[in-house]
Amino acid sequence: MLIENPVNTFAIVFPILEILHIAGFAVAIGSVAAVDFRILGYGLQQQTPSQIAKATGFWMLGGLVLAIFSGFGLYSSDPDMYYLNWSFIIKMIVLVTAIVLNYTIHRKIAQTDSTTGGAKAVAVISLVLWAAVIFGGIFIAFVMGGL
Amino acid sequence: MMDFAIWIENLGLFSDIRGSAYEYPILLALHLVGIAFAGGLILITDLRLLGWAFGGHSVASVVNALRWPKRLGFVWVGGCGFLLAMSKAEGYFLNGAFQIKMTLLFLVVVHALVFRPTVYNKPEELDKAPELPGRAKLAATLSLLLWIGILSAGRAIGYLNAPNGLHYTQLLHTILTLGRG
Repeated sequence: MLIENPVNTFAIVFPILEILHIAGFAVAIGSVAAVDFRILGYGLQQQTPSQIAKATGFWMLGGLVLAIFSGFGLYSSDPDMYYLNWSFIIKMIVLVTAIVLNYTIHRKIAQTDSTTGGAKAVAVISLVLWAAVIFGGIFIAFVMGGL
Repeated sequence: MMDFAIWIENLGLFSDIRGSAYEYPILLALHLVGIAFAGGLILITDLRLLGWAFGGHSVASVVNALRWPKRLGFVWVGGCGFLLAMSKAEGYFLNGAFQIKMTLLFLVVVHALVFRPTVYNKPEELDKAPELPGRAKLAATLSLLLWIGILSAGRAIGYLNAPNGLHYTQLLHTILTLGRG
């Protein structure tokens, strides 16, 4: 028996998944950005980077999980289109890099409350990587044809 | 109104955005990057007002520090959104989801006018209260609901690109039709 993918059976599912995807990454990336901007000296001033990271850690992870799972749903609507789309491939590479950076070097920097040049460089790299993930996602729809 | 929309979208800057293969998606991506960065600031403010995060820090230390960053974020996101909308002004003006989004943005202004005198301009008073006053939690809840609505309506714009536009009264019908596949 062929089981239809509900993402393709009901046209309303795809836009709902997109909204969850955007809400999820906005919460996750917004949480990381608050830490990064603090390291750079902007935004919250009376909280240290580690305090911001601790307070937003749950929201970062929750938003990321929501974005990833809704992303799986979106991907399932047309896997062939996605994995052949160069914007999607770049997005996945940058996304994995950003997540690994976030839970390794970035976490360590935030925990030490360091605002040295090195810490600021990590904050900038983090912001650029997450922005690049969003660019990669948007351009999936604008890149016609694959590799 | 439509003549006005057609005039706008044919101004050099906006027809450039429409005509270019890359300008529109770049603006759209910048719009979303701003939503993520500024959305985080709105979320942090609202979570503090609800008492769900930054409990160990005063409301004033969160609300006051994020006021200007949020305003800058609003200008960034709104600026990109303005360029996107004006490049296809006729289609957007007629789009039911866009009309709902603009209505909700207007309600954000109303929300600010209503809650500024008692919440956002008086965070020190909220800190003096034995527990977070109901008006702070109400302001935060309404803010979150409004922004979730704006995000959803914004995404829906792309699905209502009917050639002659779609009035917002047709939106429910369209959603129900979508639901039936």
